[in-house]
Amino acid sequence: MSGLTSTLTTARAPIALAVLGSIGLLLALSGVAFGSSWIPLDQVASVILGAGEKTQKLIVLQLRLPRVAIAALAGGGMAVAGFLLQKITRNALASPGVLGVIDGAALGVVVFLAVLSNESNTLVTSIGYQPLAAMAGAVLGIGLVFLLSGRQSASAVRLLLFGIAIAAVFKALVMVMMLIGPIYRTSQAARWIAGAVNEINWSEIQITLLMLLPLLALAVLAARKMPPADLDEVSARSIGLDLPIFRVLIFALAAGLTAVSVAFVGGVGFIGLMAPHLARLVVGRNIHAGLFASFLLGAIMLIGADLIVRVLFSPVEVPAGTVTAVIGAPYFLFLLMSRQRHDG
Amino acid sequence: MQANVLHEVSSNATPLPRSTSLGLVYGGLLITLVAAMVLSVTVGYRIYSLPQAFAALFAFDGSEAATVITSLRLPRAIIAPLVGAGLAIAGVQVQTLARNRIASPDTLGLNAGASLAVVVASAVFGVGSLIGLSLTAALGALVTSLVVFAIAAGAGGLSPIRIVLIGVTIAGLGQSIVQIILTNNEAQLQNLLFWLAGSFVDRPMTLALSGGPFILAGAALALLLARPLDALQADDETAKGLGVPLTLVRIGCFVSVSLLTGASVAMAGPVSFVGLVVPHAARRLVGLRHGRQIIAAALIGAIYAVLADVAARFVIFPVEAPVGAITAVLGGIVLVALLRRRAA
Repeated sequence: MSGLTSTLTTARAPIALAVLGSIGLLLALSGVAFGSSWIPLDQVASVILGAGEKTQKLIVLQLRLPRVAIAALAGGGMAVAGFLLQKITRNALASPGVLGVIDGAALGVVVFLAVLSNESNTLVTSIGYQPLAAMAGAVLGIGLVFLLSGRQSASAVRLLLFGIAIAAVFKALVMVMMLIGPIYRTSQAARWIAGAVNEINWSEIQITLLMLLPLLALAVLAARKMPPADLDEVSARSIGLDLPIFRVLIFALAAGLTAVSVAFVGGVGFIGLMAPHLARLVVGRNIHAGLFASFLLGAIMLIGADLIVRVLFSPVEVPAGTVTAVIGAPYFLFLLMSRQRHDG
Repeated sequence: MQANVLHEVSSNATPLPRSTSLGLVYGGLLITLVAAMVLSVTVGYRIYSLPQAFAALFAFDGSEAATVITSLRLPRAIIAPLVGAGLAIAGVQVQTLARNRIASPDTLGLNAGASLAVVVASAVFGVGSLIGLSLTAALGALVTSLVVFAIAAGAGGLSPIRIVLIGVTIAGLGQSIVQIILTNNEAQLQNLLFWLAGSFVDRPMTLALSGGPFILAGAALALLLARPLDALQADDETAKGLGVPLTLVRIGCFVSVSLLTGASVAMAGPVSFVGLVVPHAARRLVGLRHGRQIIAAALIGAIYAVLADVAARFVIFPVEAPVGAITAVLGGIVLVALLRRRAA
């Protein structure tokens, strides 16, 4: 029976991935096409391929393409982080947002902005170090969650509760850091915390890409070693999978992925929760298919959320993270209601 | 039987104080509260002497010191204890209702619901009157509490952890909607940001006059429901056996909690985790009987809020921190401690 299912999934997965990929591409093109002025899809394609007139080139290459690109990278990165966390904890409720990772990254970024700005509000160092600050904060967040939960860390639900507590403390610290800063920094930080993909430039995308790629490669490698979801913890341990050190590595990897993803766009919530779950519905349990599908779905979600805020709230730039939260929170509640075995 | 259970549980935690020592406890708390309020009036950016404060209060002479004391210091010395007491009493009730020692108006999302209601009312519908805002906040808290408990019940029983997860998710949802509204009203961002962090600064005395009655009404209702709450804390069957009308008591508590939380949020913004921390201290002092717990919690909550407010003036001197950030950090630490002891 399970053999049959797995053959079916392997047959289904490539098609599903191809479909997701094309949806993502189409959505990305529409993301570029839509804005204060509409640029037809075929012209978008031709501009990207190097043709087109000057103003269109400017709009497409400097304004719209960057936000679509960063949305794809950040959404995908967070989704993969969520995928790893859900696999390793065997719990569909785990996500970077509730394990203190995103709030930790937020604290890292706010401290970075506060400490390394001079009186005239400009950074004294390269913005390229922002992902590192985010990463340090994220690792601090998830590290504290694990350190404090101690033995209870075996239970995913307990971890979530510790994550909530740590996140609350970090949120308060971020709030203080924002209030003692000048107004400019406050509004910057407020936007960052809500998660927004506008005002991104190519050098930031380059940095994100350079840091994200090795982490994603590691995730693909680690996925191979991931114990199957239907294996319980004891038997996984007995055949040499799911060792504590491996767990720690996966959590660190997920923290790193999240931090790099959110470093420039900010705390976009719930994608790391929703994408892996939907991925399982689409491609089944195959671990690599699930990982790629998570990435694609995460990218699709953030590009889509950005499109939604641009359509609904234009010309005001509402952070895309608000949309993912408005959609993701009910989804989380639905998950809570539809599954009974979370009270570990 | 019920009394035995109660007695046993409470004598495990602390001996039930006799009425004389109970009087001592209340008296001690009251004196501490008065001392804290005097401290709140006299210390801050400028430190005034006691005679100066008395002169300002009872023989106003128009001097700078007198003006600062009566128009800036006095309102916060009165609003802070009202808010602290309100949130603490609400915390006692929800911890019993949810049978969960980490339940509080914050972890259940009631603060967020009340804040959302206030932001929507003031930014979208232009509600400006203080009574109107208090009512709106209470309504927001009431709706949120009903939603949280309804979803939790729908998810298959009111398991403590589930209630908290649902509450936190709904709080996240509310914050996102607040964010959307605020990004569309840039002008209000700075103002509301400070209010949303929770603070007693720059509140007019009229605020205490419009919020105070709500707090008193909520507290009175809570005291009326103290006996049935005693019965409710074991389990539903026991309570039913004792002839407690469960639904009626729950609805009464929801109304009381909503009045208390709503008025507190309308006066100070969401001051985090007061309702989580204080009930624990109250139980340690006076045991599990709700009549005593509510009075003690009200006094301790008032002291806690006043002292936190005084501390807020100094932690990032010379700038004021939002008191909500202080209580959030302290509350987060207490929450971690409770989780570590598996108190919840």
